[in-house]
Amino acid sequence: MQVSQVREPLINGEKSYENITADVMAPVRAKPGKLWFFGFGISALVMLGGFAAIAYTIWFGIGTWGVNRTIGWGWGITNFVWWVGIGHAGTFISAILLLFRQKWRTSINRAAEAMTIFAVMCAGLFPLIHMGRLPLGFFILPYPNTRELWVNFNSPLLWDVFAITAYLLVSLLFWYMGLIPDLGTIRDRMKTLWKKKVYNFLSFGWKGSARHWHRHESMSLVLAGLAAPLVLSVHTIVSFDFATSVIPGWHTTIFPPYFVSGAVFSGFAMVLTLMIVTRRALNLQEYITVGHVESMNKVIIATGSIVGIAYITELFMAWYSGVEYERYAFINRAMGPYAWAYWIMMTCNVISPQLLWIKKLRRNLTFTFILSIFINIGMWFERFVIVVTSLHRDYLPSSWSMYKPTWVEVAIFMGTFGLFFTLFFLFIRVFPVIALAEVKSVAKSSARKFIRKSSKNQKPEKE
Amino acid sequence: MRTIIYGHFTDDSDLLGAVKILQEKGIHIADVRTPFPVHGLDAVLKLRRSHLPKVAFIAGVIGAVLMFSFQYWVFTEGWPLIFGGKPYSSILSFIPGTFEITVLFAAFAMGIAFLVRSNLGPGSIPDILDEEVTNDHFQIILSAKDNTLSETELAEALEATGALDVKQVNTKK
Amino acid sequence: MEKQNIPEPVPFKFGKILKTYLGIAAGIGLLVLLIAIFVQQLPSARIWANLWMNALMFLFLGLGALFFWTVNTLGESTWQINFQRVMESMGITIPFAAIFFVLAFPGLKDIFEWTHTGNLDRVLQEKTPYLNMPFWMVRFAVYFILWSFFAWYLRKISVKNDFEPHEKYLGRLRATSGWFIVFFAISSSTAAWDWLMSIDAHWFSTLCGWYIFSGMFVAAIAVIILITIAFKKFNILPNVNKEHLHDLGKYLFGFSIFWAYLWLSQYLLIWYSNIPEETVYYVERVNNYKTLFYMNLIVNFVVPFFALMTRGSKRQPLYLAIVSLVVLLGHYLDLYLAIMPGAVGREAASIGLLEIGLPFFYLAVFLTLFFISFEKAKPVPENHPYAIESSSYENI
Repeated sequence: MQVSQVREPLINGEKSYENITADVMAPVRAKPGKLWFFGFGISALVMLGGFAAIAYTIWFGIGTWGVNRTIGWGWGITNFVWWVGIGHAGTFISAILLLFRQKWRTSINRAAEAMTIFAVMCAGLFPLIHMGRLPLGFFILPYPNTRELWVNFNSPLLWDVFAITAYLLVSLLFWYMGLIPDLGTIRDRMKTLWKKKVYNFLSFGWKGSARHWHRHESMSLVLAGLAAPLVLSVHTIVSFDFATSVIPGWHTTIFPPYFVSGAVFSGFAMVLTLMIVTRRALNLQEYITVGHVESMNKVIIATGSIVGIAYITELFMAWYSGVEYERYAFINRAMGPYAWAYWIMMTCNVISPQLLWIKKLRRNLTFTFILSIFINIGMWFERFVIVVTSLHRDYLPSSWSMYKPTWVEVAIFMGTFGLFFTLFFLFIRVFPVIALAEVKSVAKSSARKFIRKSSKNQKPEKE
Repeated sequence: MRTIIYGHFTDDSDLLGAVKILQEKGIHIADVRTPFPVHGLDAVLKLRRSHLPKVAFIAGVIGAVLMFSFQYWVFTEGWPLIFGGKPYSSILSFIPGTFEITVLFAAFAMGIAFLVRSNLGPGSIPDILDEEVTNDHFQIILSAKDNTLSETELAEALEATGALDVKQVNTKK
Repeated sequence: MEKQNIPEPVPFKFGKILKTYLGIAAGIGLLVLLIAIFVQQLPSARIWANLWMNALMFLFLGLGALFFWTVNTLGESTWQINFQRVMESMGITIPFAAIFFVLAFPGLKDIFEWTHTGNLDRVLQEKTPYLNMPFWMVRFAVYFILWSFFAWYLRKISVKNDFEPHEKYLGRLRATSGWFIVFFAISSSTAAWDWLMSIDAHWFSTLCGWYIFSGMFVAAIAVIILITIAFKKFNILPNVNKEHLHDLGKYLFGFSIFWAYLWLSQYLLIWYSNIPEETVYYVERVNNYKTLFYMNLIVNFVVPFFALMTRGSKRQPLYLAIVSLVVLLGHYLDLYLAIMPGAVGREAASIGLLEIGLPFFYLAVFLTLFFISFEKAKPVPENHPYAIESSSYENI
């Protein structure tokens, strides 16, 4: 396909296919530096701390947490929804942007998909441990048993089990299928025999045959077509955990698409946080360009605005409905004991992303980095506000109570960051951070200066 | 024992041109290997459209039917309970689970079918002739067995298209 | 890429034959209306509700097309350039939709129960700060003034670039698209509340605005497809190829699924929580309009889902056109179900000659305005820096 000259190039510098392979493989081949060891070390330590807090919880019980009557869900579920939301960006980038033929996704999709998998793993911890008696966790699976009991398919909590499991597995599949050709590339560049064997094993014997590529492309398209509704359904089902109730502030029909937009919003913010650092650390600035950052910012402003409109809609409808409980829920959010959380949420989610209408800010990496962190803070508070404010004051004033997290809950949350970053540090060492084959396929039409080796006389020509 | 003749190109449009020339000469191409999927190559090689989407569809339908009927059975026969005043056959409730299992079945069936059909998998040992294929070489492979022309003629034809490093190799299979 | 011989474009003329057909259609519609009023003597609520429903559908087609065009412009996508003018001319019909709304104003007291300010119950009394005629009218005016301005201005800039091409026009289109989309995002919801949700004034749903939007969008895509295929057939847009149809088909497929997803979200959540204030809406429809209710889901979801799943289905013009027509009728049915139960009630509402015949009039007016506008400008934007991309891409 012809690309207009007016478009910004997707790859800067003067790159040939060989350059692309070498640049992206450099972190995999090179010995990890001090910075990597430092980062990995800290992450691993924090992760272990989190695991210790989890063990403490399982041993002593959920009483070590701050949840109690009437706030049965506190940090645990807030964190769950937050992590699942973050995971959505990866699938959005891989699947939905593929369906929309957005070539700029090729530099970021591999890392974003990896981020999805790690985020979903972190998210999955919370439903498991918040149940209390984790050794009996298999109860949530439908299996024939002597008590002739079955799980409650009527419950959104169970739909969640299926949704998160399906999402984790399908994301893994999609990510891995895309990795196969790139693992073949790494295998062929490795000189050490045992490394070659390992990567051959991992690459499933990929050899670049046209027939295989044809099937691979066909499969990727169908996987994208499957993953797109899947990503919508997962956060929809998560929103059903709240919306199927009768609690003011929770039961509202806009939750499904609003949660999905919020998820993509926070997910892209996390991708930006990671990529702005990674591109500098791994010298990939010419592949993850300012143009890429700007495109991601555009998605952020779109989804952030949708979230903002949803807030306004909920506020209006709370009044319009005439239901006094609904009205009070929103008054309480803005002016009650947790108002500080509400206003952090509003500032970070509604006001700050609107700054991205300004082109200069969209293309400014420092601003984007800081904003992305604010967005994720805001989205955490959004879930906190939804979960806690609706539970701490609902229909019966005599039941009103307050919630405060304990050190155990905080430690577990920190621990998930440790887990996430530990996995990410490992990922950048072992797998190519950028989808090699995909970037090469857009290089000729979209690079600033693509160096083409001439077939006739083997001297490099510039295009 | 068969003889393989192969050469490579450094650009995908050169590759496409070469494939067309060889096909005009009536030469059967055993395989083309590239670092990324080349646009237009499938059409030129006249590859039949992959059946993987059909696999996904069928598996998805199976998943949907299985999951829906399972939930229905659980709620009407296995352990019927009244939740929130809803009827036993609360079809709306079954939709989320059905959807998830449909996607799961479709995706994995297709993934496994892809690997099986392409003979890829953990432990597969590929017959790599040129390690640079996964980097930046676009390779054409001809097999003497499939063609009436002699090995030398095939090699000449390949070189005439502009291929680099045309080599002949005898393989065991 | 298949090297086809692309025929020379035939300049579009809004000629006598076309005008005759449209005149006949308009005549049929008017005749049916007269029959309904004088011969059948249908209850006035039903007649006004039909006028209201058709005015809304008329608006949705233009508004949805304008939204689609502006979103593509803001996102710097280029595949749509070869049929962009179809969307531009559809957008131009928006100000004329206002006329049809105004013509239905005498019926507002029949359609909306909150207009009976004399005897409002406690629930409706609470809503009067929003649901009162003066404020409602002001909102009505604001929506149409701004939507019309955007439709007109964007079209003006697009055409200007044909004659004095300049980079600044592309920037202006993008910026204006941005403003429109922000306004549209808010106004499409508030207009849905004003014109549809308040028909069942005791009911409420935060999703209502977005649900109506999704139906509007799919209906607009269906009409874009139908017009584009017709123009392609008559060589008015010979550079529209199967790739464009494939992409439009993907939108029809994908957003039909999105519509069904919102349909299910609203229904499942209200069904699940079983709160009487909310369930009245669905109880009425499932009990008294059962066939239509389920048919709505089948025509708008099941049909496009299975009919457009395969690659080939989206690349065959005739097949795609038929599916688009079916889906368009389906969204008309969706609008029917949103309006009639609340505005007319079980005894009076039914699908009769009026419901089937009246749309012909509105369709005729819509197409007349569309053709007049389309004739005025070049069929494809000229001197567009991204134009080559629209003619040279392929779907896998």
